[in-house]
Amino acid sequence: MDLNDFLELFIEESKEHLQSINDQLLKLETEPENPAIVNEIFRSAHTLKGMAGSMGFEDLASLTHQMENVLDLVRNSKLSITSEMMDVIFSCVDLIERMVESIEQGGDGKEDVTDVVGQLRMIQNPSDPTNVQAGAYQESAAAVAEDIQFDQYQLSVIQEAKKLGNKLYQITIQLDKNCVMKSVRAYMVFQAAEELGEVIQSNPPVEQIEEENFDDSFSILLLSERDTKEIQAAFHPISELSEVVVRELSDEQETAMPIEKAQKAVKSNAQVLPKDKGDQGAAKKKHRSKSIRVDIEKLDHLMNLFSELIIDRGRLEQISRKSELTDLTETVEHMTRISTDLQGLILNMRMVQVEQVFNRFPRMVRDLAKELNKKVQLIVEGEDTELDRTVIDEIGDPLVHLLRNALDHGLESAEERTAAGKSEEGRILLKAYHSGNQVFIEVSDDGKGIDRGKVLNKAIERGVVTQSEAETLSDREVYSLILSSGFSTAEKISDISGRGVGLDVVKTKIESLGGSISIESEPGNGSIFRIQLPLTLSIIYAMLVKTGDETYAIPFSSIVEITKISKDQVSTLYGQKVIQFREQVVSLVSLKEVFNVPATDTVEKQELFVVIVRKGDKIMGLVVDSVLGQQEVVLKTLGGMLTNLYAVSGATILGNGEVALIIDSNQFFK
Amino acid sequence: MTKVLIVDDAAFMRMMLKDILTKNGFEVVGEAVNGEDAVEKYNELNPDVVTMDITMPEMDGITAVKKIRESNPQAKIIMCSAMGQQPMVLEAIQSGAKDFIVKPFQADRVIESLSKVVGM
Repeated sequence: MDLNDFLELFIEESKEHLQSINDQLLKLETEPENPAIVNEIFRSAHTLKGMAGSMGFEDLASLTHQMENVLDLVRNSKLSITSEMMDVIFSCVDLIERMVESIEQGGDGKEDVTDVVGQLRMIQNPSDPTNVQAGAYQESAAAVAEDIQFDQYQLSVIQEAKKLGNKLYQITIQLDKNCVMKSVRAYMVFQAAEELGEVIQSNPPVEQIEEENFDDSFSILLLSERDTKEIQAAFHPISELSEVVVRELSDEQETAMPIEKAQKAVKSNAQVLPKDKGDQGAAKKKHRSKSIRVDIEKLDHLMNLFSELIIDRGRLEQISRKSELTDLTETVEHMTRISTDLQGLILNMRMVQVEQVFNRFPRMVRDLAKELNKKVQLIVEGEDTELDRTVIDEIGDPLVHLLRNALDHGLESAEERTAAGKSEEGRILLKAYHSGNQVFIEVSDDGKGIDRGKVLNKAIERGVVTQSEAETLSDREVYSLILSSGFSTAEKISDISGRGVGLDVVKTKIESLGGSISIESEPGNGSIFRIQLPLTLSIIYAMLVKTGDETYAIPFSSIVEITKISKDQVSTLYGQKVIQFREQVVSLVSLKEVFNVPATDTVEKQELFVVIVRKGDKIMGLVVDSVLGQQEVVLKTLGGMLTNLYAVSGATILGNGEVALIIDSNQFFK
Repeated sequence: MTKVLIVDDAAFMRMMLKDILTKNGFEVVGEAVNGEDAVEKYNELNPDVVTMDITMPEMDGITAVKKIRESNPQAKIIMCSAMGQQPMVLEAIQSGAKDFIVKPFQADRVIESLSKVVGM
């Protein structure tokens, strides 16, 4: 069997279980007495163990096994939860995560587990630090004794039985050496034997067998009226028995001396072992919807094919308009409606709840708060907000950065907070929501806010801004300075954040996803970092504009409005063409000049179309020849050969087969 | 062909078992993801033998064994357990399960068990 076939599923499911363990552990910290939570964790650990074992990841299996043991003690109320124990379990989960990651990256999932396993064993059995697995029993379990001894009672039972035509058999069972649950196997043997007659003795005694205090073999004495062959056959259906020897005992052999100590447990109605308390977990039911897993690549492919279809649709629309055939027009219109629905569906399929990213944060914040010795409450809102899968995959790291930043730089220590008249416990709010075609993710804290003066001093010191510029900057502009590279305002560089390579990375990442980030802050009351992201990356609404003979697409998301101005409204300020627009001075950029479009008409127009675009709260006007109208376009990247093109984010194919460049207006803002 | 119903909450485990079984001439007629599902599917599919995981959400394997055996006393069920679950396996056997196999599964062990139980 090729295990690689299962690897993907193994990793997926392992991650799910790890997430569940993490979630439940966090819950457990707040309600340590809740058995349902322990059960849930136990179940996940247990499943993990089984899967890891099957895949041959021994380290992973042994680690989860120890973890499961501890949890088992907890759920059977033999252990109570301590904060140390939680820490060990958490570190154990971390280790498992690392292993799964290593496996995912093609590694062997090997990690040094001895330390954590040792700690887990300590928890299970604190009195015995060496924890030599009690191997003593193997010596105590005497090899199957040849001489059989009976007490008075047994002898009388045998005599009785013989009168009724029963025979006495000694049955020696050799278990398969790979047999894992010897006691249960033995129980099955006893069960089978009971159906044949009466078991009057076993060696080693039943109690020892129940506790698995025996080697691979044991023997029983059975009174039965069946013959040797039948008895032999009765044991056949039981697996993992390597040898069954049935021997009829003659009278001489029975008459050995009765032993003093009567063995009471002759009747082997093997006592029912303690029942597990597994059912308690049933209280918390989880809703499971029916679903299948699809490789994201397949979805990407589907999307690509579909975008080709959209291009054809555009062509068909054009053809039908030209041909003026009613039948064709109707068909094309219907096709347009259907494909719009289809597009919605495909986009929807790629949508994933941000929960996937968010749910690892509570754990991270907990650990970090412990490390920094701060008290913090993380509130997560809108985890059901959906985002494109590609965005989800990329957004995790920037968010980690922002959360760390909020914890480390934003929130004060408990003492500082008390001194400032705030509650000791800081609050970080992680919130996601939809607005229009955008998704917003906010990380806000109720900490000390951003110190304008400090940021400015640093910026001047680093040469990011000049002294004179500094005075004219708005608060918001000042705050956004901390997103520029080489910036760190924490006086002390801590382990957590602030190595000077922090927030600018966040900014770059967000912008590469077509989003933006802004900061609001109120000194003493905390700050809000707001990320704005497009819902999807592959199909965008765009305004098609014409400059010369060329068509360009400007994404709707960056357009504020479109206006027509007469030439004499344009004035020049510091060598830059500007217009007065809604009582604001807006600088103009001519697309013709930017992209060196050859001029087609010699007559200079008296009227100009200006597309007002924005980035954050700054606006700017793009001068174009004409506006063609809005259209849904499929964003195609230009490929690896054409990177870093100024102000171009990609290209699209229009209905008439023409290629239009998609303008990234953000780059016009310096 | 022997009809088998696989019960396990982990898709991974179901896939492993299915692979082992189909390669050895068994027909997997259904898969159930928890005890409740198992009881339903049993009645619907009437398989020759069931492989039953123990720890599952909604309804555990032992309860499922009891439920299935209530209405189908002849049902042949094999428990799938992991190490350290002796008490539960024992309870399942007492409740009428015919055999048990222990994870990590070894193909020949699984086949041995199923063949023996079916031949009973």
